[in-house]
Amino acid sequence: MTFEIEAPSRTRSVRIARAERGYDVTVDGRQLPVDAVRVGSAAWSLLVGPAEAGHHGRRSYDVGIVERTAGELWVYVNGRVVPVRSGGQQWRRRRGEASRGQTPVVGSMGSDPATPQRIAAPMPGRVVKVLVKPGDAVAARQGLVVVEAMKMENELRAARAGIVRDVRVAEGASVEANTLLMVVE
Amino acid sequence: MRKILIANRGEIAVRVIRACRDLGLTSVAVYSECDRTSRHVRLADEAYPIGPNAPAESYLHIGRLIAAARASGADAVHPGYGFLAENETFAAACRDAGLTFIGPSPEVIALMGSKTAAREAATAAGVPVVPGTDRPFDADASGSAIAAEAARIGYPVLIKAVAGGGGKGMRTVVAPDDLASAIRAARSEAGAAFGDTAIYLERRLMRPRHIEVQLLGDQHGTVLPFVERECSIQRRHQKVIEETPSPVGSPELRMRITSAAAAVARSVGYTGAGTIELLLDEEGRFYFLEMNTRLQVEHPITELVTGVDLVEWQIRIARGERLDLDSASLLTPRGHAIECRIYAEDPDAGFMPSPGRIAALTAPGGPFVRDDSGAEAGGEVPIFYDPLISKLSAWGSDRPQAIARMQRALREYDVRGIRTTVPFFRWMLAQRPFQDGEFHTATLDELLQQREGEPFSTPDEDVEEVAAIAAALHAYTRRGAGDTPPGPRVGRTLRVRRASLEGSPHDVVARAGWKQQARLEALRT
Repeated sequence: MTFEIEAPSRTRSVRIARAERGYDVTVDGRQLPVDAVRVGSAAWSLLVGPAEAGHHGRRSYDVGIVERTAGELWVYVNGRVVPVRSGGQQWRRRRGEASRGQTPVVGSMGSDPATPQRIAAPMPGRVVKVLVKPGDAVAARQGLVVVEAMKMENELRAARAGIVRDVRVAEGASVEANTLLMVVE
Repeated sequence: MRKILIANRGEIAVRVIRACRDLGLTSVAVYSECDRTSRHVRLADEAYPIGPNAPAESYLHIGRLIAAARASGADAVHPGYGFLAENETFAAACRDAGLTFIGPSPEVIALMGSKTAAREAATAAGVPVVPGTDRPFDADASGSAIAAEAARIGYPVLIKAVAGGGGKGMRTVVAPDDLASAIRAARSEAGAAFGDTAIYLERRLMRPRHIEVQLLGDQHGTVLPFVERECSIQRRHQKVIEETPSPVGSPELRMRITSAAAAVARSVGYTGAGTIELLLDEEGRFYFLEMNTRLQVEHPITELVTGVDLVEWQIRIARGERLDLDSASLLTPRGHAIECRIYAEDPDAGFMPSPGRIAALTAPGGPFVRDDSGAEAGGEVPIFYDPLISKLSAWGSDRPQAIARMQRALREYDVRGIRTTVPFFRWMLAQRPFQDGEFHTATLDELLQQREGEPFSTPDEDVEEVAAIAAALHAYTRRGAGDTPPGPRVGRTLRVRRASLEGSPHDVVARAGWKQQARLEALRT
């Protein structure tokens, strides 16, 4: 059976077949000498490389798998996480998402002024302050809403100037990650 | 003293439980609702509930903590760090209830807990302070008065919470325009974390190192300083790596700063464990920053280079014992120790908190590695509290060996299900400024800025290929019920796009997860 696995750099076609002992593994048409043994409900030990004499570097990988949302997996390889997707859209972490400096600037997706800035909660938490109301004109980098999570307050600011169109949350509300908080046009 | 209630949670509660056990004392844990099955509760001898998840309703609720102490028959209370550790009202409430508070007196906590009063005490003891506000600004202080003071001190200026600690309620302001919003943020954060919105201002020194001196004071007038800790690797004013001794810690500098720190502590009659924080400028001048009247997060590295169990000594001092440690040996570090604070934060998303369930956890071990952790596989990192899950320390006979061992330990640290700062540390320890020991408190923020959000955990080709193979194996073995291990898979289904032989890809929903999947899809639209 062949699976299309999307990893950060590219998608690979991985074919798995039962072998006499273990599995036959083919990646993008290339058969690989992989000794895969299950060591837990979502954990594997993989030895990659031929075991015969004359070859060197049969690498040992300790692998764990955590299912996230449908189709998205976090695969841990020797303690390093590799997010992979085996469904629809290409997985790719956006570079520089969320905060780089003092406070996260949200809505930066919409650097095109025509696109409304959708201010969403960057993490699960509690709305401690809503600093604007619908109809308010806001300047670039002006504070819009303060979300507290794990004892730190994060002020979400406007990426650019605009008018507050829609405020979806009230102070005190608990929000999940990615909950839409307000829209600035 | 026979039974100690630990008014805290997480790794520090675990640390204190271990000290109790070493001394043959009974430990009593307390827990909020979400902490019922946390590691500290299961490790303690006894445990009592103290209310709902919100800190104000549980770990900050003095009445409930005292009630739990009474119910358990504890005769002493250890506050850990954070929460009520530097709250004089709590220390006084313990005393009034006939409980020994393991820490300094409420009067000393109040004095040193007020950053402005502490600055006065330091000045009186002949120790220089960073230029700043003489008196704090209460909640009703006018914005213009604060702005005038900021202008007098000079920008860049630091706003700090009078009751602060751990970088909470602290903001740097570079230009007057940003002052109002920074004050609001600092006050709000300070109010939430410490129940006190008072702030003060301080000049921000350029390129300073953050050096601190651990102290122990007994009830008989003896105060002993320890070899300095270097805590300059900070992100947004929060320490992330500490080490001891400092890479610039010459014996001459050590003598000057430790005797100054001890002088401040002696002048206020300090008892218990405490830490004097100092800033060291590029010319070797040092300034008193503040005193933390509690056990410090980074105390393990001092224990590693001096062989002194600081928590055990907190308890022994509270019992009235005399400090009979050799003062010279406390200032003569044996080797070098480093600590990394492992947080449940996603370093690839601006260090956003990453709460959730820990699917699997393998902590490092082996020679000269210490892991102080409150987390475990199957455990939940709740959103309500500080996201520190572990403190990883490594010891070496010199700094390069300590770094190498820390790198080995970080390579082994495997936490699955939530994001942690481990990938960040793997990167950070390899950085030139860190390796060379040439850094200051803004170095890390500068290095992070240069990265421009570049992910820390970018896998190389081999690792990515292995991940792809494992994902395919996982999907393959989950197809048939025969291959699937028993146990519920709540809300989790795996959708794989199957490239069929005919070349018309279609969705295959693994196992009986299709019902769940259908429901999820229905909810989404």
